[in-house]
Amino acid sequence: MESKNNWKAWLYLSPVLILMAVFTFYPIINTIGISFLKNYNTLTGANDGFTFDNYLEILMLKPSFETAGGFVIYDEVFLKEALPNTLLITFVTVPLSIFLALAIAIVLNSIKFLKKIFQTIFFMPYVTNAIAIGMVFSVLFDNHGLINFIFNSNVKWLFPENGVLPNYWTAFFVLCVYIVWHSLPYKILIFVGGLQNIDGQYYDAAKIDGASRFKMVRKVTVPLLSPQILYIFITSLIGGFKEYTSVVALFGTTGGQFQGGFGTMKTVAYYIYDYIDNPTGLQFAAAGAVLLLIIIMFFTALQKIVSKKRVHY
Amino acid sequence: MEITLKHLTKAFPGDAKKNMPDTIAVNDLNIQVKDGELIGLLGPSGCGKSTTLYMIAGLKQPTDGEIWFGDEEVTHLSPEKRGIGLVFQNYALYPHLTVYDNVAFPLTNLKVLTEEKCHKLIAVRHKRELLSHAEEIVDIIKHALYKNKISKELAIQKLIAKFKTITSIASYLFKLKLHTAKDLQATVDKEIESLNAQEQKILDSLAKKNKKVDEEGFLLDENGQRIQVKRTLRKDEIDALVQEASRLVMISEYLARKPSELSGGQQQRVAIARALVKKPKVLLLDEPLSNLDARLRIQTREEIRRIQQETKITTVFVTHDQDEAMSICDDIVVMKDGVEMQKDHPQAMYDNPKNLFVAKFLGVPPINVFEGKIKDHKVYLGTECILESEKLTEDKDIYVAIRPEGFLPANGKNVFTINVKEIITQGRDKSLIAEHGSMTGEQVKVIIDSDVKVDVGPFALSLRLNKVFLFDHESEERIEF
Repeated sequence: MESKNNWKAWLYLSPVLILMAVFTFYPIINTIGISFLKNYNTLTGANDGFTFDNYLEILMLKPSFETAGGFVIYDEVFLKEALPNTLLITFVTVPLSIFLALAIAIVLNSIKFLKKIFQTIFFMPYVTNAIAIGMVFSVLFDNHGLINFIFNSNVKWLFPENGVLPNYWTAFFVLCVYIVWHSLPYKILIFVGGLQNIDGQYYDAAKIDGASRFKMVRKVTVPLLSPQILYIFITSLIGGFKEYTSVVALFGTTGGQFQGGFGTMKTVAYYIYDYIDNPTGLQFAAAGAVLLLIIIMFFTALQKIVSKKRVHY
Repeated sequence: MEITLKHLTKAFPGDAKKNMPDTIAVNDLNIQVKDGELIGLLGPSGCGKSTTLYMIAGLKQPTDGEIWFGDEEVTHLSPEKRGIGLVFQNYALYPHLTVYDNVAFPLTNLKVLTEEKCHKLIAVRHKRELLSHAEEIVDIIKHALYKNKISKELAIQKLIAKFKTITSIASYLFKLKLHTAKDLQATVDKEIESLNAQEQKILDSLAKKNKKVDEEGFLLDENGQRIQVKRTLRKDEIDALVQEASRLVMISEYLARKPSELSGGQQQRVAIARALVKKPKVLLLDEPLSNLDARLRIQTREEIRRIQQETKITTVFVTHDQDEAMSICDDIVVMKDGVEMQKDHPQAMYDNPKNLFVAKFLGVPPINVFEGKIKDHKVYLGTECILESEKLTEDKDIYVAIRPEGFLPANGKNVFTINVKEIITQGRDKSLIAEHGSMTGEQVKVIIDSDVKVDVGPFALSLRLNKVFLFDHESEERIEF
């Protein structure tokens, strides 16, 4: 393209660029700016100048309170609850949901009978509201809910009863089921699309060469589907780090209270939203958001490096 | 391995609701392919030739009929149990694997019944034997230059080619660094000594385990018989077979590349190597040349013939190009609408077509077909009587087919007049493009010697009767005269 015609290209791009500048680039820069301000006031914008304290306090390198008696109080939520919860959720649900989606996509792609019906069934969660699904799950896993009724058990899945808190890991299990189930359809959709693009002759060739079904999946399907798998992996990893609605949908706006584990189900995004509500805490939300951005960028870059060897375009 | 097709039929079900009848792709096909023969299935697209091939391969199930490999019926056997190699039309090489891994892939799935050997012992002995060619090895390594530096990959590749050995041993030879040794003989002697020690150690440990081994390294049981085992192939064995197959099709240099980095002809050869590497009893080729350019096509088809002759493998070759089929096949089967039209040697079929379809299908330029009739033992084209025979007893309408080369300068007999429109001289031959009232197509094509004087306008020619065929107007079957 000759450079003198560039202005046309920019003109065509301008609506998107303007919208992105207003709603994406400016907020990002502003967030980074706020995260370095001391005692930022959301309403007036007043602040006490530049500081690293927000980060230091979030990361428990500096106490957030010092009482006169020499007592120090740290803000433990980010480092001891939100971050471990987020990492745990991401590294459990992302591989699990990709594996399940791939298996379901392969099966869906190989059946002929009732294929359309099954495709519709698996796509249902995608078009269903997250909060609505959360409510259904709450009913299912209520202490007097359907699951306990069916299995004739008495497990406290999500909510306390008579002042006794539910176990962290049972709640975590339900959360994972929820997230995996909710995230399956989109992945299946992408994988089925990718599978339909794979030339059937590769399978014929593998069949003649005596490869077992499992080996065909491992040696033919997965490598040929690797671009889609990488795409799904990156997007769901980012999605996992931003997990929020599922926690609110299942445990409400308190983030839950549990025995063992990390105590609550608060995630990093949850932590950020918590401080946005707090008129004197926006700088902490901003610092948390910047840290989350750095974490996501780190893992995405890591993936890009790993995938160079593993992905075949 | 002999292949026999008995009443082979394939029908693709139609849809009664939409009034679609069944499609009969292959109809009652009976073919016998002799051991070591290269047979061509020839026909226009949609004639069922590829379907036949896929049924032989086991990728499609016949609706009816039987397939026999030698004395074994394989009709319902799964593809991997038939011992076939198949080359697909677009090769179907795995794009994510290197050429080496592509060729090795069939071997990784294979379980073989084989005589158990002591591989370490054989390797040690093989190394020692190769070391007696120390000077040659040094020579090869020193000439394996890439950008004026000795390249390890190239050296190993050349060593493999020279000594017909495997990668692990070639890489061992390279790592000895004989090319940098100050005193070659001393280095070799030292290494041989160490190999002798290794051999003794292996023999000792075998003796300790009470295992007997013969001269060639095969393990023996108590009765001195070689032990049979069923197992998957070892890495070195796979390597040996891959190297052998790639030598045969001459792709040894490209083993480390990905298929997308190869030209069409090279990909073709990789596909053949992959089909041949497990030493199948039958090789099936599905239009293997259709993706190549004209020059490469001729080269590759000769290559296929050479490989087939070298391996003596029974081969079925599917093509729509009569030129291809005629040039390399022992026998051709011409098919139309799933039915066998004729099976014969290429030249015999050309000289003696059984019906109008075969006559039209073979030959470039195509045969000239005229509307004619038989009357009183004479064949008329328009008003001219072109030939006469006592055998033609029935008066009826017929097709008269004359090969382009079936014309001679007029000599008084079997004269036939055409209206010449255009004369193209091509050195040795002269092509005439002409018109005739009874011609079924548009132009009559005639090839005659370039010495014959021809002018545009009506021109009389004599016919070479062995290039003239008569066919019934209804059944299109041949009428002998």
